[in-house]
Amino acid sequence: MAHEIIHNEPLNYQDYLIKIRAPEVVKRIKPGQFVVMLLHEKGERIPMSVRRTEGDAVVMYIRKVGKTTSALIDKPVGDTILHVIGPQGTPLEIKKYGTVVVATDSVCGHAWSYSAAKALKDAGNFVIDIQSFADKEETYPEWALNKDACNEHHLTTKDGSAGEKGHYINLIKNWLENGKKIDLVLAGGELIKLKRLERITKKFNVPTWVEAHQLMIDATGMCGVCRVFVDGEMKLTCIDGPFFDAHKLDFDSMINRYSTYANEEKLSLQLYKKQRGE
Amino acid sequence: MAKKINKVRVPMRERSIDERIKKFVEVPLGYSEDEAIMEASRCLQCPKPTCIEGCPVNINIPGFIQKIVEHKFDEAFFILKKDDAMPAATGRVCPQETQCEEKCVLGKVGDAINIGKLEAFVADWARKNKIKDTPEIIDKPQKVAIIGSGPAAISCAVDLRKMGYKVTMFEALHKAGGVLQYGIPEFRLPRDIVDYELKYLEDLGVDFQLNTIIGLHRSFQEIRSQYDAVFLGTGAGAPRFMGIPGEELTGVYSANEFLIRVNLMKSYLFPEYDTPIKVGKHVAVIGSGNVAMDAARSALRLGAKVSIVYRRTKSESPARIEELNHALEEGIEFMELVNPVRIHEKLNHVHGLEVVKMKLGEPDKSGRPRPIPIEGSEFTIEDVDMVIEALGTLPNRLFLDRAPELNRNKWGILQVDENMKTNLDGVYAGGDAISGGATVIRALGEGRIAAKAINEYLKNK
Repeated sequence: MAHEIIHNEPLNYQDYLIKIRAPEVVKRIKPGQFVVMLLHEKGERIPMSVRRTEGDAVVMYIRKVGKTTSALIDKPVGDTILHVIGPQGTPLEIKKYGTVVVATDSVCGHAWSYSAAKALKDAGNFVIDIQSFADKEETYPEWALNKDACNEHHLTTKDGSAGEKGHYINLIKNWLENGKKIDLVLAGGELIKLKRLERITKKFNVPTWVEAHQLMIDATGMCGVCRVFVDGEMKLTCIDGPFFDAHKLDFDSMINRYSTYANEEKLSLQLYKKQRGE
Repeated sequence: MAKKINKVRVPMRERSIDERIKKFVEVPLGYSEDEAIMEASRCLQCPKPTCIEGCPVNINIPGFIQKIVEHKFDEAFFILKKDDAMPAATGRVCPQETQCEEKCVLGKVGDAINIGKLEAFVADWARKNKIKDTPEIIDKPQKVAIIGSGPAAISCAVDLRKMGYKVTMFEALHKAGGVLQYGIPEFRLPRDIVDYELKYLEDLGVDFQLNTIIGLHRSFQEIRSQYDAVFLGTGAGAPRFMGIPGEELTGVYSANEFLIRVNLMKSYLFPEYDTPIKVGKHVAVIGSGNVAMDAARSALRLGAKVSIVYRRTKSESPARIEELNHALEEGIEFMELVNPVRIHEKLNHVHGLEVVKMKLGEPDKSGRPRPIPIEGSEFTIEDVDMVIEALGTLPNRLFLDRAPELNRNKWGILQVDENMKTNLDGVYAGGDAISGGATVIRALGEGRIAAKAINEYLKNK
């Protein structure tokens, strides 16, 4: 039952490329779906994006943010975790849209966007992929970017120390203002940025799907903690999502609910670090 | 010679209120051997026992009670096991007062026999003394898939396995047991008991496939083609919300979320366990069923002041009487005849619960008086900073959406005949999946009926 870690390598000072054997997941996962991991008996069930599959392993990008992600990254190759469950969620609808922009500014976004971009490209779309980072230091090495998954790749940093200066929002806004035809925007990452993106694409009437980021426990539609409101209707991110029509999504309540357990997560991480003598 | 009737129950010793409100330990301490024999001796051994009729699985109640009197606890256990796959659990969670004990003749002149506690006593005794029911199984070639691993699924699996069928159980979560695992708190049903009852299935040779969602991970159609028959014990795991303004705020929980955190993920032991839980200063629990009591008493144990907010009165509460009494004893406030209309907020968090006063009208379909709002009687319970909605649950659409060929009603409740057969050939269902939310024992009964019908079906296939 246990899942072996077969690769663990840093992408920058905080993000890691991790490969874990999960043959049952590999057999079935489609772009847009995610997995739930439980490290050990006393662990929490956390949702995680998948970048791609390789053999019988899922390839993931993971950031040290809390106790569980830190504990996972701290595990050496050959070590195991208790459960990798999935695939969960509704797959993205992969078909020909025309010109599709895939944009992200977060570690999980850099993960799922790869297989999404690749599948959309394979379906005959012209895929423009934008990956935004804070600065050069945060930027991933060339081979770990989405370059081979798209037709046109853009790297941006907030301070301009690598790639183009700015954020994916700036690029998309410029393109739309200059009359570029975009048939679909698919974005994920920092929620507040997604909310800003939505305002821009709405002005230009561009269909936009975003990855809702929400707390989850069972991720099977049982607890309701991941509820979001789409066109006033309650939807569950774990089974109806994680992708929703941005023009119908209530961003404010989603952003608010996401940080419910911020203090507890901080405490958990502090105790974990203390225990490791960090 | 007529037996002298002892009208009074041997009292059940319980943990003190001070002790139990700080811990998730079981409240009743259980009968000692002497107490059990004394209580069992009160049984009149009626020639036509009505208690058996009151039991959804028709346990031979006078039979097992007589064995207690005779100090033959192992034989009492085998009598229980014949009809009940998990007596340690049902002895604790069945609403005996509306089933077997309600029919007990002694109840007309005094206290009914404490059948539930005697059942738990026997099962606990067998566990402690390592007495196991080890049926001889003659294997048959046919395979049955059981979807779900809660009470209905367990009872169906046990019976089918005893008949010799190869049984595979598919569970969506990382632990088997369904509602026994994620729903009912430890202070009502300790998890070592659940684990023990599940171990029995493993010993019988039931194959468990955890973390597997039929519909999502493996299609229902695939399962149907690979197995000779299918039992759907998919439960009613999806939460219901009232649909009032404010449900998007932080501090609003479904009882499912709250109890899954507490029970399945053991967040009451955070940070030793990684899943966190938050509890407010004043928690309002909406509803008054067993789940509401479980949520209320869990919140109390986590340090909150707790109020149950119910649109009818205590007398109409569908909770087990023992749970309601325990909740009240422990200091939970019961607000009758009020219904929430809006959750107020401060900084996007719950800050007050607005309710409207209700009055009772004519009986509705459930036979209980219909609660009617009193116009203009709204008021706000000001200091409420957390709301738990315990309004019942619905079948999970994750499975249903991917099995459109199954007949269900508009709430997603599967439609079955008296043999638990669905509209599909070889597909049976039971438990909350066909009722929307009932009791553990009713689910056990339905699992048994289905097992019998599946046996008939496979014999003729």
